[in-house]
Formats: sequence, C-alpha cells, structure tokens
Amino acid sequence: MIEEGRPIFLQIAEGVEAAIVDGSLAEEAQAPSTNELAAFHRINPATAAKGVALLVDQGVLYKKRGIGMFVASGARERLLEARRAAFAERYIGPLLVEAHALGLGPDELSAIIRERATAPTTSTTSEGITP
Amino acid sequence: MSRTLNVVRMQLINKQTYIWIPLIILAGAFALSLAVYAIIPSDGVKIGGGSQAPLWYFGVVGVQALTLTFPFSQAMSVTRRAFFLGTLLTAAITSAILAAIFVVGGLVEKATNGWGMNGWFFWLDWIWASGALGAGLFYFVLALMFFIVGFWAATIYKRFGSLWLTVILVGLGVLFVGALFVIGRLDAWAAVFTWFATQGAVGLALWGLALIVVLAAASFGTLRRATP
Amino acid sequence: MSHVIEVSHLTKRYREAVAVDDVDFAIQKDKIYGLLGRNGAGKTTVMSILTAQNFATRGTVRVFGEDPYENAQVLSRMCFVRESQKYPDDALPLHAFRTARLFFPNWNQDFADRLIAEFQLPMKTRIKKLSRGQLSAVGVIIGLASRAEITFFDEPYLGLDAVARQIFYDRLLEDYAEHPRTVILSSHLIDEISHLIERVLVIDQGRIIMDEDTDTVRGLAANIVGDSAAVDAFTDGRDVIHRESLGRVASVTVLGALTDADREQLRAAGLDVGPVSLQQLIVRTTQHAGTAGEAHAEGVLR
Repeated sequence: MIEEGRPIFLQIAEGVEAAIVDGSLAEEAQAPSTNELAAFHRINPATAAKGVALLVDQGVLYKKRGIGMFVASGARERLLEARRAAFAERYIGPLLVEAHALGLGPDELSAIIRERATAPTTSTTSEGITP
Repeated sequence: MSRTLNVVRMQLINKQTYIWIPLIILAGAFALSLAVYAIIPSDGVKIGGGSQAPLWYFGVVGVQALTLTFPFSQAMSVTRRAFFLGTLLTAAITSAILAAIFVVGGLVEKATNGWGMNGWFFWLDWIWASGALGAGLFYFVLALMFFIVGFWAATIYKRFGSLWLTVILVGLGVLFVGALFVIGRLDAWAAVFTWFATQGAVGLALWGLALIVVLAAASFGTLRRATP
Repeated sequence: MSHVIEVSHLTKRYREAVAVDDVDFAIQKDKIYGLLGRNGAGKTTVMSILTAQNFATRGTVRVFGEDPYENAQVLSRMCFVRESQKYPDDALPLHAFRTARLFFPNWNQDFADRLIAEFQLPMKTRIKKLSRGQLSAVGVIIGLASRAEITFFDEPYLGLDAVARQIFYDRLLEDYAEHPRTVILSSHLIDEISHLIERVLVIDQGRIIMDEDTDTVRGLAANIVGDSAAVDAFTDGRDVIHRESLGRVASVTVLGALTDADREQLRAAGLDVGPVSLQQLIVRTTQHAGTAGEAHAEGVLR
C-alpha cells in the first residue's frame, strides 16, 4: 500500500485522486477524513493531513466548515486532464525505450497496440475471473 | 506540597514494605522471644535482643527506598526534593507507629511483670526512666535512625559507587576504633559511662535526632546529583 | 511554530568517553519524533538529560522555556519511562498504575484499563516476576495513559512480540489523533515506526546527523542497480553512500532526489531504480558518516 522511497503524503493524495478518477469517490461526495485515512494506512495523522491539504491547494477537495472535506465539482475531469498530459512521459517514454531495445519500430508497436486493445483482457473485465 | 504528600501515598501504596513486614517481623521476634523465655527454667530477669529485629529491617527499608523507589519516582516525574521529603515523612510516620506499639507493649509488659515470666521485650529500665513519652521518643528516634543510615549509605553507593561507600564505612570504623583507643588511653571509660547514664534515654534520643538531621542533610546533598 | 524543547551545545562527558557531543536541536509542539540511532549512540542519555534524570556536562536545555532540573511545574508535564525501568520491590502492576495516577495530571484510567486488557497484563503478578514483554507493557501503558504533554518512549517495546508492538503503534496513533501531544520515540526498528513519525532525529556517536521531516527524507535517496560501468557513469559527481557489487553488477545508493531527466537517463542506460527504505537510508548514512568523517556527513544532510 504505502511504498518506500516516496513521501507518504504524496501517496495519500494520489490514493484519493485515484478513487476520484475511477469513480468510487464521486464529486460533491464527502472525502475520507484525515483521521480515517491515518487509521486505515496506519500513518501519522499529520502526514495524512498534509496529503489532504495538498489536494485542497490543487482544488481537488474543498472544506465545508464543521462537516469535512468534499470532492470539488469538475475535479475528476481536471485529474484526467493532468494524467493525459503526463501519459506520454510516464508510459510512452519507457515503452519506447524497451521497444527500441527489442528492435521494434513505431509501425510494429502500433500493430501490437491495436491487437491488444481489441482483444479481451482478463485484468480489466470481470468475466475472466471465476469465483 | 501536594506532590510531597503524594510521595507518601506512593510509598504506602504497597502496604507491605512500610507496614506489614515490620509488623510481621516484630510479631515474629516477640513470639519467638516469649517462647524462648518460657523454655528457660529460671525466674530471674530475662532479656533478649529480639526487639531489635524490626529496627534492622528499617535499615533495609531505608536502603530500598533509594535503590528501588527512587528510580521509579524519577519515572513518575517527581523532583528529588519531593521524593526526599515525602520518603522521610513516610519513615517518620511509620517510625512513630512502631514507637507507639513499643510504648503500649512496654506498658502492658510492665503491668504483667514481664508477661508473668519476668521476660522483657519492650521494657528496659533505663529507656523507661523518663516515662512513657521518653521511651516513645527514644524508640521513634532509633527506628528513624536505622532508616536514615540505610538511606544515606545507599545514596553514597548510588552516587559514588561501592568503592567510595566502603572507603567511607571503613573510615568511620577507623574513627570509631580510634575513639575507643583514645578513651582507653585517657582511662576515661568511667567518665564515658557516666556521661551516657546522665544523658538518659531522652538525652540520647536528642543526640540521635541531631545525627538524623546531619545524615538527612548529607543524603539530600548527595541525592540532588544522583541519577536513577 | 512553537518549540517545547530547546537544546543548545549539549555535551555529556563521562570519564572514558563523550556520550553527547555538542548537540543542538529543537522539538516542535505536538509532533511525533523518531529519535533514531544505534545502541550506545546517545539516545537514552539525551532523553535522560531532557527529563533532568541525568545531568549535562555543558550546554543548556529548556523545556517549556524553563530549566527542567527540580522543576515540578515542568517535570509533571513530561513522562519518561525507560527501557529497563526499575520498580519498587514487590510492587504489582496495579501499584505502578495507581502511582502513575497520582503524579500525571492527565492520567486516564479508562484508557489504561483498555490497554491492560489488550496487552493481557496480569495485574496481580509481581513486576519482578513478569516476562520481558509484560514488563515492557507496563512501561508502555504508563507512557500512553499518562497523556503527558511531552512523552518519551525509550525503546520500551523491546520484548513485545510483533502483535503487541502493532497494538502499541495503533493505540499511540489513535490516542495522538484524539489528544495531540509531543511524542519522542527512540528506536532502532526504524522501518516499523517510519510511518508513525513526522520528524526524524538521527544521532550517531553523540552527534545529530539528521534532523528532518520524515517525508523529506523518504525521497532523499535511490538505489541504482545494473552494469557497474553504467552505474558509475551515472553516479559520478553525486553523493554515494553505499556500494555493493557482484561480478559486473553494482548496486549503489545515491543521495539526492531524482529528476525526470535523471529517470530518462537511467532508463536509457538500462539501469534499475529502486526505492530506499527509511531504515536503509539511515543505516547507510550512519555507516557512511562513520567512515567518511563527520564534516562530510554533517554537510550532506543538515
């Protein structure tokens, strides 16, 4: 859950962001409190608070006095935007490096991607999982 | 002030150390003495050393008050001053209780003429020469003195180590023997005994108090820089 | 930011050795600190001096702005139960807790009772007859239930098994969330407590070699693994605190956050980047400080 070698507060923020992006945490819904996050991950509440504060600074969460933290409207779209912008850097970059090492050019890469994208995969659909 | 009183309560939380064990030792020594007296077929005055037992135990309590309770008091965030005063107060209270028991015991003993056996445990003529109050003071000071000697010796040990404690005790021993030697040389034994006799129990008790004050002050001075 | 403890030029010299060597630091209010270091590094000595149980040779200590020595006002707001705490002879855990109740103004008996149940502590067994773990539990319970404004835990969980240690960490965090206070936790089990502590204070051979926010330190190093020539090319000019090699493969711990450009470079060179746990970082920094000389280590991390 919590990785070594990276600041915990960043990982907390990323966890909340991931929940917003995959829809499990809806916009205008109440976000987990600092203490809940701290208890769940078994971390210092101040660290959890730092992660939440980061999200408030970025406009992903906002505070309703006396009640708690809520997901801002439009947060999901903004997060998706940011991830799209980083997509090339985070995923395509390493992909190209490995492809280069294996001697695969852009055309071959495109073919592989197209093939994979249309075939059913067990990791993203639940049909493949037998109880 | 309240933290000092809380130190007294702390010392007395475990009733064993300051109350039950001294009483058990006293009761045991008393019973044993009476049993021995009953066995002796003489009608003469019988005196044993049994009544000393609880006093020696008070010396042990004094030692343990420092070696075991002091480190714990530090963990309880108690200042050395509060610990010292509270512990001394506890020792005074329990010494007073012990003295009271000795006085009552002595009165009963006298009234029964040595438990009907001419056997004496609490009552010694020269201690009771000034009456019950004098005897009470004497026993009080004696118990407290045993305590403070144990406490003082333990502070020396804690602060300076066993080497220095030995040096000091040996030094005191040497002084004592030296004093005996000087008295002998000056042929002053008679004068010494007379002095003791004229002091009486009350007088000796007062000298004892002076010694207690000196040892208490010395213990506190040492305690101030002792680590648990 | 208010400082509840301020230490300046603190030195403790024994006849044979210097236990604490000209140390400066400040402890901020209501944070959980990890005081980390090897056995004999000076952790217990520092904590003893802060609580006036031991005395400095030189330097000043201010707790709540005052000298703690014989200062009942200040001392009653602190709690320091040490690793091998002595208890009065024949005392029962019951007596220890009753006494704690007398002296700690914030003592909470309900909390203590819950902890006693959780640690399964036998209340009527003499303390001197308790197992090592049970003895530690007594100290831990006193430290937690005292709710003292500054609480020191000096490796009090030695002897506690993994389950009991987890109980301690969980209760500490829980109670800290409800009743914030300053907590200083000394330990050599760094990875176990790394998620709990907000700040890291590392002491080695009597000197402070690290005084940082934990999250800052977590990103401070990386492990680079791969062909040794490529590794050395990358690490040239960087702070290396650890190096291992097996044949042509080298594993190097490098200080300094990696930029995106760095990661690009590493990918291109076919090198693997791995995270460095807090424990590894501190251990390697300490070892490195030991061999490279103090001046270098001080400059690197402070």
